[in-house]
Amino acid sequence: MIKVLRNFILCLLTVLITGCASSLTADKDPSIQLSTYNIFYVVRQPRDERGIEKLIAAELTALGKTAFSGEAAADPEAYDVVVTYIDKWSWDITTYMLELKVELRDPRTNYVIASGHSHRTSLKRKSPEGMVKEVLNQIFSKQ
Amino acid sequence: MKYLQSSLAVLLLAITTGCAVGNKYDYSSVSVSLPLQGSGELGVAVVENRAYVVSGDKAPDFIGIQRGGFGNPFNVTTKSGKPLTEDMAASLGAALERSGFKVSALDVRSPDASVIAAAATRQGQQRNVILKVNEWKTDVMMRIRLIYDLDLQITDGAGRTIASNRLQGDEVIGGGGFEGQNAGSASSSFEAKIGRLFNKPEIFAALGE
Repeated sequence: MIKVLRNFILCLLTVLITGCASSLTADKDPSIQLSTYNIFYVVRQPRDERGIEKLIAAELTALGKTAFSGEAAADPEAYDVVVTYIDKWSWDITTYMLELKVELRDPRTNYVIASGHSHRTSLKRKSPEGMVKEVLNQIFSKQ
Repeated sequence: MKYLQSSLAVLLLAITTGCAVGNKYDYSSVSVSLPLQGSGELGVAVVENRAYVVSGDKAPDFIGIQRGGFGNPFNVTTKSGKPLTEDMAASLGAALERSGFKVSALDVRSPDASVIAAAATRQGQQRNVILKVNEWKTDVMMRIRLIYDLDLQITDGAGRTIASNRLQGDEVIGGGGFEGQNAGSASSSFEAKIGRLFNKPEIFAALGE
């Protein structure tokens, strides 16, 4: 009986420990053509000390856009799109990015014209650069 | 042996109910940014039309399901304890005020078109924003699924619909986490969907932008 119980607990723990999940989503206003927007400004998340805003700006540049990053822009309407994000981190032997959500906003009204999101648990982890790339690709592939 | 059995029971209980019980999300203070600016007075109502709430199967503060370790469902409710439509009306009213409108609440207690028209005629303004919630719920386990069907109508002072827009969907909006993270994802989606409902030339025209 003890052996059965021990095996059951081991199976249960294995499922819990190895349980891995990921999701990659994007949601875009169908009336918006993202290809017509060229100048982006990525606003640094106040609690972000890792420079994720720079990674997002670099990836936007790689996608052929003109991108700047920094603290909240003094004149947001000088840009076509203001980009905000939320990064969440977790720890499993090393610290890794658990989740990244990126939102593209109209600088005039702050309206969310598109958003993308990636969530990766420990066994499916990717580098922050990889997470940024897959989220932006998901958003822009939805054009 | 007894000790092992007790440990197993506690472990199973923790796994199956863990962080799944008693979750609450706040839709009343979501900062919704609408894609328009305007002025003038608007009557605003958010009307409950979710079949399971109208029938009484679920309470009006029901907003979704959080699943435990084996997929066992637990209700998620509004943080305020108020009906979902009241929370949504608070966020929508605040958003319209930030967009430049002066907002007054309409008391509409039935999704029936004639009841909405009568309320607009009796207590409404020359323009009224009616949001009918045909569906809105999240279903969370490893991922957060949002199932929604929102119907926006702009009516005149006689309750006649002068513009409308409808959004329906069933989509994954994020990875499931703790209550606060899930609530944040739900709030973000609420902001995006409400904004999108208004982003239509006919709606802009009806609201006089």
